[in-house]
Amino acid sequence: MASMSSKRLQKELTKIQGTLPPGITLVSAPDLREWVMDISIIDNPIYPPNETYRMRFSFSPSYPIEAPEVVFVVLAAPERKIPIHPHIYSNGIICLDLLDSQGWSPVHNVESVCISIQSMLAGNTKAERPPGDAEFVRSNRQRPRDINFLYHDPKV
Amino acid sequence: MSRSHFSRSPRGNQDPTFTRTHSHSHSSSNPINTLGLPSPPPNGRRSSMGVEVRGMRRLEQRRNMEESHYLACNARAQNYNPPVDLRLLDYVSSYDNNLMCAICRCPFVDPVILNECDHCFCRACIRQCWNTNTTYTPLGPRGDCPTCRTPAKLGPRSATSKILVNLVDELIVQCPRKDDGCKAEVRRCEVQDHVNIYCGYTLIECTGKDCTDPVRRKDAAQSCLHYGASCLLCHKELQQWKLEAHWRSECPDRRVHCEMCKSPVFHRELEMHNKETCPAISTPCPGCSSRNKRGHAEAHAKSCTFAKLAPVLLRQQERLDEQEAAQKEMSRKLEVLEGGFTNMQGILFPSQEVENADRRSGDSNHIPYLRRSLVSPENADADAPTNDFAGFDWNFSAADVRHDGASSAETFQNGMASPPTRAAPAVPGPRPDDLPEPFSSDFDLASPPTFPPSGPYASPLHHLLSMHESLRDEMTRITSALSELDGRHSMQILNENLRTREEISYLAAQTAGLQRQMHWFTSAQLQRQQGRSPTPGASGSALGGAMMDAGAGAGVEAAVGAVSTAATALRGAARMVNVGGSASGVGMRRGTSEEGRTKL
Ligand SMILES: [Zn+2]
Ligand SMILES: [Zn+2]
Ligand SMILES: [Zn+2]
Ligand SMILES: [Zn+2]
Ligand SMILES: [Zn+2]
Ligand SMILES: [Zn+2]
Ligand SMILES: [Zn+2]
Repeated sequence: MASMSSKRLQKELTKIQGTLPPGITLVSAPDLREWVMDISIIDNPIYPPNETYRMRFSFSPSYPIEAPEVVFVVLAAPERKIPIHPHIYSNGIICLDLLDSQGWSPVHNVESVCISIQSMLAGNTKAERPPGDAEFVRSNRQRPRDINFLYHDPKV
Repeated sequence: MSRSHFSRSPRGNQDPTFTRTHSHSHSSSNPINTLGLPSPPPNGRRSSMGVEVRGMRRLEQRRNMEESHYLACNARAQNYNPPVDLRLLDYVSSYDNNLMCAICRCPFVDPVILNECDHCFCRACIRQCWNTNTTYTPLGPRGDCPTCRTPAKLGPRSATSKILVNLVDELIVQCPRKDDGCKAEVRRCEVQDHVNIYCGYTLIECTGKDCTDPVRRKDAAQSCLHYGASCLLCHKELQQWKLEAHWRSECPDRRVHCEMCKSPVFHRELEMHNKETCPAISTPCPGCSSRNKRGHAEAHAKSCTFAKLAPVLLRQQERLDEQEAAQKEMSRKLEVLEGGFTNMQGILFPSQEVENADRRSGDSNHIPYLRRSLVSPENADADAPTNDFAGFDWNFSAADVRHDGASSAETFQNGMASPPTRAAPAVPGPRPDDLPEPFSSDFDLASPPTFPPSGPYASPLHHLLSMHESLRDEMTRITSALSELDGRHSMQILNENLRTREEISYLAAQTAGLQRQMHWFTSAQLQRQQGRSPTPGASGSALGGAMMDAGAGAGVEAAVGAVSTAATALRGAARMVNVGGSASGVGMRRGTSEEGRTKL
């Protein structure tokens, strides 16, 4: 199965290197395990248009069957922050049902995940962190995929 | 499975003894077999019984050995050549995106269509997808459609159209062993056959005696290649049959020819060469728009004047960008300033309309600045940049006035709080003597009709006075607003007080009612006790009755006391409310004082 995942990632990579929707760029894909993408949000006053956010995709060997792990990362130069959103913890973990084992479907791909996150941010109206953010960030040692999020807000 | 069956029987048939003994050993138990197969000669049967039994055993052993050997071979062959996963192939022919499975993003392999929603996937893909998140069910694989999440299941033979299968099977693919060197391109439906039967790079079992190691099919005709050898260049120890693969893709010391520049490059350096050093890779000239191969770049740089100028141009570009940014900043600032000025004008103009007349009529002749307004505009313009001769007295008078204005502004500022500070920068305004020349245009822009002689104010003093007037207006407006607020506030408190007082009087009435009821109860009790006391007779009982009487009386008395205490407390509260009301009304002018005096 490992080869199926790499085959598919290879295909996605060649496609991504060709064209990507505006605001989404591939920063690097050193191997087929971990990709780094940048996204920016164009028309939401909460996010300055010149600010860019960095995401790290980690793929397991059973990738299209299993969801990739996607987190926002902080970087000093070039400056990258964690976008403020009621579903994004300040350590970069994203609470999005698309990314957990129940909501994931193998027909999704890196591009569609990026677009989903971008539109999630673009439609955001609250400049706040999820409830209990500080506590979660302090205590969480789990990997994102092992966390059972409660989707208290089904409309996002 | 079927293949193993097929290839087994010829082997068995080569050995007639084997067939015979085989049939013989089973003849008693399986008569049907005996009918179909040749029976052993009956004459030699009894005489060579012992020999035959021993031979049978030997043959049995041999058969077992052969079978296990065959199975082992088969397993090895399977290991060498696992069945081709068609989803991992590289497609030569381009294909329509509609023929692509959404899960593996390859042309469908054994496509199935989900009956529930008509979405199509490879059979293996959809099974994999469902295996991970649903447990086994006896009704066959089932789950949600990955595309539309409709609950669906995989029937025993979910329908697919033959056309679709044909379309994807006709696609041309590369041999899965292309990395080893096979250049074959075949139709997808034939790729398994190619690998199994034709491909020279498929591993098969060595034909050498007592050798079970794998060898490529194209090398199998040679004798056994499984002996040690070493690479001529890197001296790595290898088996002979692996040498070619090593030579082709691994050996670090082998020289290959770069496809771009045709120069020989060591294998180990190839990656670096392709990325960085290959002279055939073109790089853009930093100056002109031409691209040059790396080998010619230096020569070009020597001849190209643009290339020489490149660093200068780069610096120029940087500076230009900087300047542009600065200019943008400046124009934004200017915009803000202009906006501020128009705002200020808007604030100042309406009051000016009213006051201008009386101010001008009042003291226009003793304001020195007014003289300047009589000067023709071109004259005023002329003296601004040079101010050699004629500028002197103007400057002098202007300075005088400015002094006056400034000092009055200061006193004004001392008297009042913030409003003048906002307008203050406008007061010192123009300084014809120390304004540098290039700023004169800015000045015209910045202080529009307010200040130059053509403006609505004859002098800074007028300006100040008008400002003062407007401030006074503002003050009276604020005062009236304050008094109005004051009145509203006191009314509010009065209403509040009235309501509280009503409530308290209601409570007091309630308490009085309770008191009366208490009294009634007490008297009823006393009467009852007095009526009961003579029945038992004797003085002792009368004494006891009196004692009880006293006790009950005391209890009732205490209760009454408590009720009256509550009443007094209530009254106290009412007074407190009154006092509070009067205290809050101390600052008010009317109404509140007599309000405070009114008693419950
Ligand atoms: Zn598929
Ligand atoms: Zn569907
Ligand atoms: Zn081949
Ligand atoms: Zn051999
Ligand atoms: Zn070598
Ligand atoms: Zn080269
Ligand atoms: Zn050039």
